[in-house]
Amino acid sequence: MNVRSQISMVFHLDKCIGCHTCSIACKNIWTDRKGTDYMWWNNVETKPGTGFPALWEDQDKFKGGWEKHNGKIRLKSTGKGRIIPNIFHNPNMPSMDDYYEPWTYDYQNLFNAPEGPDQPTAKPISMVTGEYIDIESGPNWDDDLGGSPIYAANDPNLEGLTKEQRLQLMSIEQLVFFYFPRICNHCMNPACVASCPSGALYKRGEDGIVLVDQKRCRAWRSCIAACPYKKVYFNWFTGKSEKCILCFPRIETGQAPACFHSCVGRIRYLGVLLYDADRIEEVSNLPQEELIDGQRSMILDPNDSHVIENALKNGIAESTIKSAQESPVYQYVKVWKLALPPHIEYRTLPMLFYVPPMAPVMAQQKAGGLDSISENLFHDIEEARVPMKFLGNLLGGGQEGKVLYALRKEKSVRWYRRAVTVGDVDLETAERMLKEADCTVKEAQAIYELTSLCTFDQRFVIPPAHREEAIEALKDPMEHKQGTGFGFLSGPRRGL
Amino acid sequence: MNKWSEKARRTSFGRAGAGLAVMVLLAAMPANAQETAVYFQQNCASCHTIGGGRLTGPDLKDVTGRRDREWLKSYILNPQAKMDAGDPYALQLLDEARGVVMPIPPGITPERADYLLDLIEAESALEESQFKGVQISNEPFTAADVARGLAIFKGSRKLKNGGPACYSCHSVSGLGGLGGGNLDPERGDLTLVYERLQGRTVLSSWLMAPATPTMNSVFKAAAMESDEIHALVALFEDRAQAGKPAKSQAQLTFALLGAGGAALALMFFDFVWKGRFLAVRRPLVESEKL
Repeated sequence: MNVRSQISMVFHLDKCIGCHTCSIACKNIWTDRKGTDYMWWNNVETKPGTGFPALWEDQDKFKGGWEKHNGKIRLKSTGKGRIIPNIFHNPNMPSMDDYYEPWTYDYQNLFNAPEGPDQPTAKPISMVTGEYIDIESGPNWDDDLGGSPIYAANDPNLEGLTKEQRLQLMSIEQLVFFYFPRICNHCMNPACVASCPSGALYKRGEDGIVLVDQKRCRAWRSCIAACPYKKVYFNWFTGKSEKCILCFPRIETGQAPACFHSCVGRIRYLGVLLYDADRIEEVSNLPQEELIDGQRSMILDPNDSHVIENALKNGIAESTIKSAQESPVYQYVKVWKLALPPHIEYRTLPMLFYVPPMAPVMAQQKAGGLDSISENLFHDIEEARVPMKFLGNLLGGGQEGKVLYALRKEKSVRWYRRAVTVGDVDLETAERMLKEADCTVKEAQAIYELTSLCTFDQRFVIPPAHREEAIEALKDPMEHKQGTGFGFLSGPRRGL
Repeated sequence: MNKWSEKARRTSFGRAGAGLAVMVLLAAMPANAQETAVYFQQNCASCHTIGGGRLTGPDLKDVTGRRDREWLKSYILNPQAKMDAGDPYALQLLDEARGVVMPIPPGITPERADYLLDLIEAESALEESQFKGVQISNEPFTAADVARGLAIFKGSRKLKNGGPACYSCHSVSGLGGLGGGNLDPERGDLTLVYERLQGRTVLSSWLMAPATPTMNSVFKAAAMESDEIHALVALFEDRAQAGKPAKSQAQLTFALLGAGGAALALMFFDFVWKGRFLAVRRPLVESEKL
């Protein structure tokens, strides 16, 4: 057993209101520099939709992630031999048009325009070329546009849906959408790290954050093609790749990452997971339908004495183990099995998990009123406007079972709380539902508390980073503290 | 890599060294009269006779009487230099030869030039020199001769002694397609060679032992038979009468074929790679507009 600790995440989609506050918080801190203007390390997508960059989930086009080859997995986009003919031209990358051409507005014109019969306008200006442009797309172009014929209708997750289901998603008063906020998944088996010819990408040992070494990056851009989530971006000004760093400077000082901290809907949870790194290759090779269970089995119980012993042997601090025991992520992913990895079929074993959203019900009209209660207590899940197949493609590794399990549990907890606080449904039915949904009263209470009443400290359980111990190996921590923050910094530059 | 190129360099040095040694050895060999005669036959006789009248170049009978020996020697060693220096007699020779500049004889040395002048002097004294020139038959050319000449030119009929077909380096009008080779863009087109060399006699004797450095080295060991020369001269006479050089037309054909070929190749690659990754979002938007 090779125990590693990873700071991982849960996004509760049932709570996301799609306000983009997370994206703005991230942009203001990290990607307002020249060359990063088009990057959104955090973005919020409307689903069904093609996302950002357009159709990122279509791996026939972008060739991201891993694929099975002769019984083992290999990168879909490249390999040691395969990279040679393509090292100077990697064809499977999104173009600027597939992201969008970043723009600002010519505000000066509002002040400087000569007097004329019309109001002056601030025309859009490209932040890349500085020329006037016509805006054709943006990072959230299809925001709130469920049912749109171009973007929503081409969501790759619609694969396998019947024609009726597709039509229903487009028809008025029946169409539906939900929000899908995305950051780097800081995967256990990251394709970007595996693809880099320069070895510039690495997964930090102490907390599993995946980073790009800006000094080592040589602009091959293999990571951009290899990441199936398209969460590595190329800075066209410095000629280096950049990605979400999970705000590691904030994490190291005990603060939640900016997008987590600013989240209005409080949908984000962050905490340590302990996992067995010896099993990464084995689990990545499992058949698609066994991947979710496989990944869950890699996540270790932080209260198990055998695990603790091995963790200590691997140099994981006691404070980190304690943090793992309090981790909300562990509860959502492993104990309650509510949170699911996005597109685990890409085999990168993402460490960001999503609680599937409950969708509006297809109501039936009865005697002039709308009726949404039937004999089947879970009818609104099967009859939800978002087809199970769609959620299965997105979060279930192509299977509906795991998503259905999570949604039934969410529904039963909601029903139970309704019986307790409102009292318009009887407790007996509610408890029967809990039982059917594989949940106990105690667990329902815990889910309810962590979902609805959670405090800041319950949502973000950040282990102490122990930087002083890391520094100790190199120099006196006190001396380092006195000297840090001074000296010369050289930003990456190329001839532009 | 380094080791490799080091080795290659050493080998090529070795070869050049060996070649140099052979050349030095050859130059040092005492050239007897017999050897000089063979040399004259191979390198001079195509343009010069001794007592047989002028061919491309002047008749060399009594040439040692016309100019002094030093002048002749320096002229043989480098005719072009003499003309460039503006020597009036050299320019007169050039004029008489209708602009054909005498090439530097292959392997010429001051010593060999002396031997050549000795030979010319000796032969001039004879009643009838062995270099009086070849007897060219005056039979009129037939259409069959022209056709045979064309076959030889194009290489469909092989030269008996293994020389390469004219086609490899030269062009002539009426070949069609891309014409022939274009080794010398200025004089490689042989359409008007019959006129340039003033007719049958000169052209025939030129072909007996071609004198330019390139042709000399190729045909020294593979001289053409007289019937082959007859056929070729027939061809050249026929083409010279017809007139226009082939060059411009062949160049146009070449350009057109090149452009067409490039277009076809691009279309082919476009077809083979039609599933290539071009764009994602724009086709999505455009497919919806249709």
